[in-house]
Amino acid sequence: MSRYMVNKLMWEVDTGDRALAEFKEDPGSFLASWEARYERPVPPHPGGGRLTDAEREAFRARDYGALYAMGANPFLLWQFARSVSVPEEMGIEELISSFREAVAPHGYPDFHT
Amino acid sequence: MAELVGVLGVTHNPLMWSSLRGSTPPDLVEVAANFDRLRARVGELAPDVIVLVASDHFHMLMMANMPAFMIGKAPEMRAGHPNEGRVFGLPPANLPGDSDLGSHLLGGSDLAPGFDFAFSDEPWLDHSFLVPLLFLTPHLDIPVVPVLTNCNAPPIPVAARFAALGTHLADRIDSFPATRRVLVVGSGHLAHELGGPRQFLGESPDPDFDEKAVWWMGRGDLDSAVASTSFHRLTEAGNESYQFLNFITCLAAARGRPANLAEGTPTRFGNLPFFAWDAP
Repeated sequence: MSRYMVNKLMWEVDTGDRALAEFKEDPGSFLASWEARYERPVPPHPGGGRLTDAEREAFRARDYGALYAMGANPFLLWQFARSVSVPEEMGIEELISSFREAVAPHGYPDFHT
Repeated sequence: MAELVGVLGVTHNPLMWSSLRGSTPPDLVEVAANFDRLRARVGELAPDVIVLVASDHFHMLMMANMPAFMIGKAPEMRAGHPNEGRVFGLPPANLPGDSDLGSHLLGGSDLAPGFDFAFSDEPWLDHSFLVPLLFLTPHLDIPVVPVLTNCNAPPIPVAARFAALGTHLADRIDSFPATRRVLVVGSGHLAHELGGPRQFLGESPDPDFDEKAVWWMGRGDLDSAVASTSFHRLTEAGNESYQFLNFITCLAAARGRPANLAEGTPTRFGNLPFFAWDAP
């Protein structure tokens, strides 16, 4: 589990117009280049860590329930979900209800980083 | 000498900005009226500077670098971020600051004993600052000293530290040697949830918490407010309720006296906080 990197990715996508466009276009390809940037930085320094396979898959599938259950910061998760899913994938009302359905089974997971 | 002329506490829900742009929706009539009341109050108090206590939402501070409390001491600063413009229609703005007062709140050359603030000479404020200012000071012409708090990335400071922050700010305002009329404004939420199972329910996620919270402010019961707002209890009230802690700072800055306005205004977004204290 690498909650910090999950939060960092969501934050970069929500606050960066280019990152948001790239993620919407192709999450898999965005993830590959984003992770590569932090795994092999120049000059080399730790870029905050790596995503786990489960986190990577949850991002690829836009599985907000899984990210929530793994301890993604709820505020960042909602900002991220709204930015990547609305309006192209669904309307805001549909996102509100599908998001609630996705996170409700998980209660209130610890979201400390 | 500087004078603390009053303390206000308001919601910073950014959906209020988008929802109150055109005609006022029926459930927000009282919210608009409370903003009008407090805007008139700011006019009467005629502050020279506003010390604005609010929680940053990962715009200025991210988990790569997360202080508990930060004071912005720049002579001018930006407010409003691009993603907030995109989602909420918030207009980006430049705000005047007050470096002398900001430096004095920090402590001068030495940090004041008892409060190890971070500081910023280039603050860039988000909606928790901009929304209150747009409603209370629409011309954005009163200098601001922002006090950024961490209410979003646990571990967050305990309620007693938010109370100590309020006392510290009031003490430092009292000891500021230049003439200033200083208004303290806090922004935050009552019970509130975002990104969890109880978001956008059409009502408060915890009306019982809201009732108590308003009572603490209206009765000036700082001890109960501090004793009843652990991380665990605030999570029960909703996973964004940590931002209520900014109002504990307000109550302490008002020296724990009863607020003369204390209301959780009911709306489809939950009960929205409005608080006002006279000068201590």
